[in-house]
Amino acid sequence: MSRMKFQISNLNLYYGPNQALKDVSIDLPESSVTAFIGPSGCGKSTFLRCLNRMNDFIPRCRVEGQVLLDGTDIYAPGTDVISLRRRVGMVFQKPNPFPTSIFDNVAYGPRLHGVTDRGTLEGIVRQSLEGAALWDEVRDKLNTPALSLSGGQQQRLCIARAIAVQPEVLLMDEPTSALDPMSTARIEELVRELKTKYTVIIVTHNMQQAARISDLTAFFLLGEMVEVGPTQEIFTSPSDRRTEDYITGRFG
Amino acid sequence: MKEAMKGDILPRRIITGVALTGMTIMIFILFFLVKESLPILREVTLLQILTGKEWYPTYDPPSFGMLPLIAGSVSVTMLSALLAIPLSLGLAIFLSEACPRLLREIFKPTLEILGFLPSVVLGFIGMMVLAPWLQEKLDLMTGLNLLNASILMGIMIVPIVASIAEDSLSSVPDDLRDASYAMGATRWETTTRVVFPAALPGILEACLLGVMRAVGETMVVLMAAGGSAVIPKSLFDAVRPLTSTIAAEMGETPVGSGHYHALFFAGLLLFLFTWAINLFAARIEARGRKWRE
Repeated sequence: MSRMKFQISNLNLYYGPNQALKDVSIDLPESSVTAFIGPSGCGKSTFLRCLNRMNDFIPRCRVEGQVLLDGTDIYAPGTDVISLRRRVGMVFQKPNPFPTSIFDNVAYGPRLHGVTDRGTLEGIVRQSLEGAALWDEVRDKLNTPALSLSGGQQQRLCIARAIAVQPEVLLMDEPTSALDPMSTARIEELVRELKTKYTVIIVTHNMQQAARISDLTAFFLLGEMVEVGPTQEIFTSPSDRRTEDYITGRFG
Repeated sequence: MKEAMKGDILPRRIITGVALTGMTIMIFILFFLVKESLPILREVTLLQILTGKEWYPTYDPPSFGMLPLIAGSVSVTMLSALLAIPLSLGLAIFLSEACPRLLREIFKPTLEILGFLPSVVLGFIGMMVLAPWLQEKLDLMTGLNLLNASILMGIMIVPIVASIAEDSLSSVPDDLRDASYAMGATRWETTTRVVFPAALPGILEACLLGVMRAVGETMVVLMAAGGSAVIPKSLFDAVRPLTSTIAAEMGETPVGSGHYHALFFAGLLLFLFTWAINLFAARIEARGRKWRE
């Protein structure tokens, strides 16, 4: 198996007195797709948000344990969260484009990080939109409102926006749960392409989706990471009884 | 089915009736305003009213030049907006984006209560406290002037503008903030590049509402602006806006006289001002909507 991008050991997370993640340890390999599956409220999204420290914004949220990104603990004091988030991009459950033009959405990150030259920006915007398989649909209307796009297009725009800063990792939090089957299929196809360049970590409710697109699957239940392994194995011969019950549809 | 329809008819009639009553009253007010103001045009021309620099309505022959009054209204409104809007937006951004939740729970209601402060109280403070202080510190002939009235008016509209702008900022979905943070933006970058632009239509509306309030405000300017009907040349000149002119003079005007009709005409001008601002606000709102849907 390839090099490990993330190495997480003994991660505990508390919202006030409630423990949301219990002693999670998992390694996530580079240039592959890892899927987190599990029932609602099992902590998979919370865990995903630990990887770019988006939980920092939640009051009374406390994280213990170690999260190594390329060997460096991202929870160590003095960590530059800004550059962390630049390296670890994120796509959210609901498409959330900014209420500006398509161009300005994609150019947001590069501008933030100091790119001002129009030509360079145009290049980045085009590349990113191509990378998100959206370019052909929007090339003639880059200056129209992003919110005039369909839901699936908006989500691909958000992917383009995320990859415009050339992150190393792409976190996706149920990116297709608000989309129709056609748009979902396009995003899934895109995810398979994205893994050649990025480490993709995707949370999904949809087990078939995990089976279709991921190399590695981790099953979460009640804040615990029950089992992780190659997707094929998890879905054909899980070693834990709870995983088997979940994927065979006995609960969840 | 028949029963259900029957149940619908009465509420619908009541609501229609109430709406029609309201609209009819508004139409009559407008009609009355126009009817009482138009006769002045038999004595002087529209151009004379709008560009005349002399407001001597009780002289013989009278002179109905309203330019100084219009200049008074415009200057107080603009100066107070200039003072109040930056302050209000700063407050709104602080409350919505930077303030700890507990402090905000205290601060926002307090701000809103300040908005209910009767303007006569502010006018009184202006007359008794601010004007004498300005007069002494700046060595002026009188503290009752454009600056004094504008500061008070500014204080009066800050709560309105700040509170509505804050509503607009905090109604920007957290989704957008998250998207920005996840790209490696700081809180300040997120506020200035995402939240503020997204809330801009609402913020502009807040400003225009503040301006409308300032245009129509009477008591503060009546008490604190000095009341001299000349076009102001500096911040320290006394002014006499349209509103305070009407309030000060209407009581002593014979009904049906030229002066009486001229004051109604001043009211009509005020109405047209605020209406124009309102139209402008509606256009901004429509343009903002284009980006949001």
